[in-house]
Amino acid sequence: MNNPVLDAREDRWNRRRAMAATLPAGWSVLSFTLRLPAPLRLGGDFDRDAEGLFRDLVFHLGSRGFPVESPSFAVRADGPEGLCAVRGDGEAVKRAVVEFEEGHPRGCLADGDLMDSLRGENGRKSLGLPPRRCLVCGRPAAECVAGRTHGTGEVRASVDRLLSVPGGVPGEGPVSAIGETARKAVLFETVAFPKPGLVDPLSRGAHGDMDCFTFLASSAALAPEWERFARLGFRFGGDDPAGLLPSLREEGIRAERMMFSATGGINTHKGLIFSLGILCASAGMIASEGIPLSPEVCASRGAAIVRGITGRDFASLKGTADGRPLTAGERFYLSDGVTGIRGEAERGFPSVTGTGLPSLRSSLAKGLSLNDAMVDGLLALMTVVEDTNILSRGGREGERIVRENAVYALELGGMGSKEGKEAVREMNGLFTRCNLSPGGSADLLAVTVFLHLLTPASG
Amino acid sequence: MKAVKDAAAGSLESSDVLVTVTPSEGEDNTLSVDSIVFRQFGGRIRSVAEEVIASSGLAGAAVKVQDRGALECTLRARLETAIERALGRA
Repeated sequence: MNNPVLDAREDRWNRRRAMAATLPAGWSVLSFTLRLPAPLRLGGDFDRDAEGLFRDLVFHLGSRGFPVESPSFAVRADGPEGLCAVRGDGEAVKRAVVEFEEGHPRGCLADGDLMDSLRGENGRKSLGLPPRRCLVCGRPAAECVAGRTHGTGEVRASVDRLLSVPGGVPGEGPVSAIGETARKAVLFETVAFPKPGLVDPLSRGAHGDMDCFTFLASSAALAPEWERFARLGFRFGGDDPAGLLPSLREEGIRAERMMFSATGGINTHKGLIFSLGILCASAGMIASEGIPLSPEVCASRGAAIVRGITGRDFASLKGTADGRPLTAGERFYLSDGVTGIRGEAERGFPSVTGTGLPSLRSSLAKGLSLNDAMVDGLLALMTVVEDTNILSRGGREGERIVRENAVYALELGGMGSKEGKEAVREMNGLFTRCNLSPGGSADLLAVTVFLHLLTPASG
Repeated sequence: MKAVKDAAAGSLESSDVLVTVTPSEGEDNTLSVDSIVFRQFGGRIRSVAEEVIASSGLAGAAVKVQDRGALECTLRARLETAIERALGRA
């Protein structure tokens, strides 16, 4: 054949078939192309938009619980194309792709085709979904394409109009998705109950100066902030993730001001702004690189962003005596070498990925409600987290009480058993009497929920 | 000329067409057409396919056209390539 465009398309088709044939059952090949006529597709004007859209699509699939492997993007004779392998039921994956095509601000330019080794293609029609619509007139697109209903100029005008619609810079779809997930995680953690020693809707725990509404006010004030962290990560162009930290710090200080002004000066979420801010930025950075999303990838990129923070922050602390009151974390580093949340972040949130998240997911898998699974996750975190909130109020003895009680409640079955529930209820009374508030674990529970929602486990 | 081997050209991607040619008994050709725009363009696709098959001199083959909304020039190119391949020329 003497037509390079047709040759390239046939070549892609054959590569897709070869790839599908090598995949194990339960995997599909996703092929991504631009839904534009050749004169526009091949001009190079939309290559960057295509790459951004492909990355958004990879991120979207990850955020719907479909792991993606070996994504690759290239511009060939037929125009820009993306290929990757996706794990998950073929029909469910196709539905997620269609959701992207219909829901992403620029999804109508994306064409995601799926093929698995067993059934061949999974198309819209076989799933009873409506056909793609023409970019110009909204009629079924295939009719307009086959009939050459619209000229290139007409299509170009429609595409330019589409790209001028607010919806962020091409490829920034994940930023709002990350922000929304963080907002949810913060609210979910706030209302989960019972949370021993902590503020929940039914109890103020060991806190006299705040209640659930203080936390909701703070959550509302922080609602727009998470997206800003995600965008900083998304737009970061450097090679070394640690280069992002200074701008995250600035953003964090801004977020703290919003929090304090909403709560009348009470610290509700300072620790969470640090950890969740970093992870929002981490998720944004990963999305911008088209790297498939997983809790581990997200947490370890977070660690790369804060690399060296413990040593740096605390070294300067020793060197100066500026009279500022020290935070709990700073005091315990100086006295006991406790690295607290900084150390947790720098090690890639091992309490979350190794303990909190597996516990939350295993309780959900047993059929517990999200609330009860969150409480189990909190108990699990209490058994391992180096919580400077606890240390500052109750010292090592307080830490021992918290850990032993959490272990005991979990051994009784946690929220999955009557005895476990009773133990949690008693813990609340005990922690309140002893003035123990596991705030560090609570922050990491919100982080756990964030990673859980952002990167759903799939079967 | 008799088709000598199974051949295909094209793809099932949007706006493309997959043409397969299979050798069959006798000298006659058979043609089957399937298209997502069959209602609007089925007749046109069939007549283009018949024309290309006739001018190629192909004989004794089953030609299958699976159209995903291809332009006519694409359809012609895919038909020609598939037939060339089936005749052992490409």
